[in-house]
Amino acid sequence: MTDTTVDDDRLLLTRAQGGDISAFEALVARHEEKVYGLALRMTRSEADAAEITQDTFLSAYQHLGEFRGEAAFGSWVHRIAANNALMRLRRQRVLDVVTEDLAGPEFTDRGSLAESPETDWSRRADDKMLDEELGRAIQEATDALPEGYREVFLLKDVEGLSYEEISEMVGISVPAVKSRLHRARLALREAIDAFYKEV
Amino acid sequence: MFNCKDSIESLLPFLEGEMSPEDEEHLRAHLNGCPPCVEFVRTYRATSGLCRKALVKSMPPEVAGRLRSFLRGKIDESK
Repeated sequence: MTDTTVDDDRLLLTRAQGGDISAFEALVARHEEKVYGLALRMTRSEADAAEITQDTFLSAYQHLGEFRGEAAFGSWVHRIAANNALMRLRRQRVLDVVTEDLAGPEFTDRGSLAESPETDWSRRADDKMLDEELGRAIQEATDALPEGYREVFLLKDVEGLSYEEISEMVGISVPAVKSRLHRARLALREAIDAFYKEV
Repeated sequence: MFNCKDSIESLLPFLEGEMSPEDEEHLRAHLNGCPPCVEFVRTYRATSGLCRKALVKSMPPEVAGRLRSFLRGKIDESK
């Protein structure tokens, strides 16, 4: 988020807190895409994502008076949305934490990498366009992560929340958040590596 | 002296600058002599960026429309 965006949000927020509905609607228009994206990634359900987006902005409206502006408005609604998405997942009881199936690099008995990466695909991350098939492979690999790992990975690496925020939301320690994040990254790296080995 | 496993296990603290100077020295010494691990570090670092691109979602216009109507309704109710 740029400084200009944050400054514009502050102006809109001040007006919205003073009762200007059109200013609040302008804030919604500026952040709805990001909130909906988070909700859809987390829940993988368009219907749930739409409801979470509605609940998030309604909650933001109802608590406008309490928002003091220490954080950016965008970060604030993002956190509300993440909490709403996690609550919904908890209600659906899908927050299992199973580690056995989590992929990662294999090592020899002496702790050396059993297989070397075949190609260095790290520069592909700089390409503007992402290969459609790679995109599908990543989506599938993310969906296949155990839920407790998937949510931590999404909240940190995709949504950009801090370790402390995630720790509080998910109810695990910061070291546990980091451990899950590392495992999830390793599994996703394996999936991308496997994709490039096949093509 | 770190092996590949030790190095890969310590990637997250390494990339976030949270390693002890001694461990960082061990890791750098390993990376200096292990090209596969250097590639591993590069691809590990690239993973999040690729995933972010792959997981972009857009909001359908009709969902945005329903959101606005919903909020207008709720705000009107609260007046």
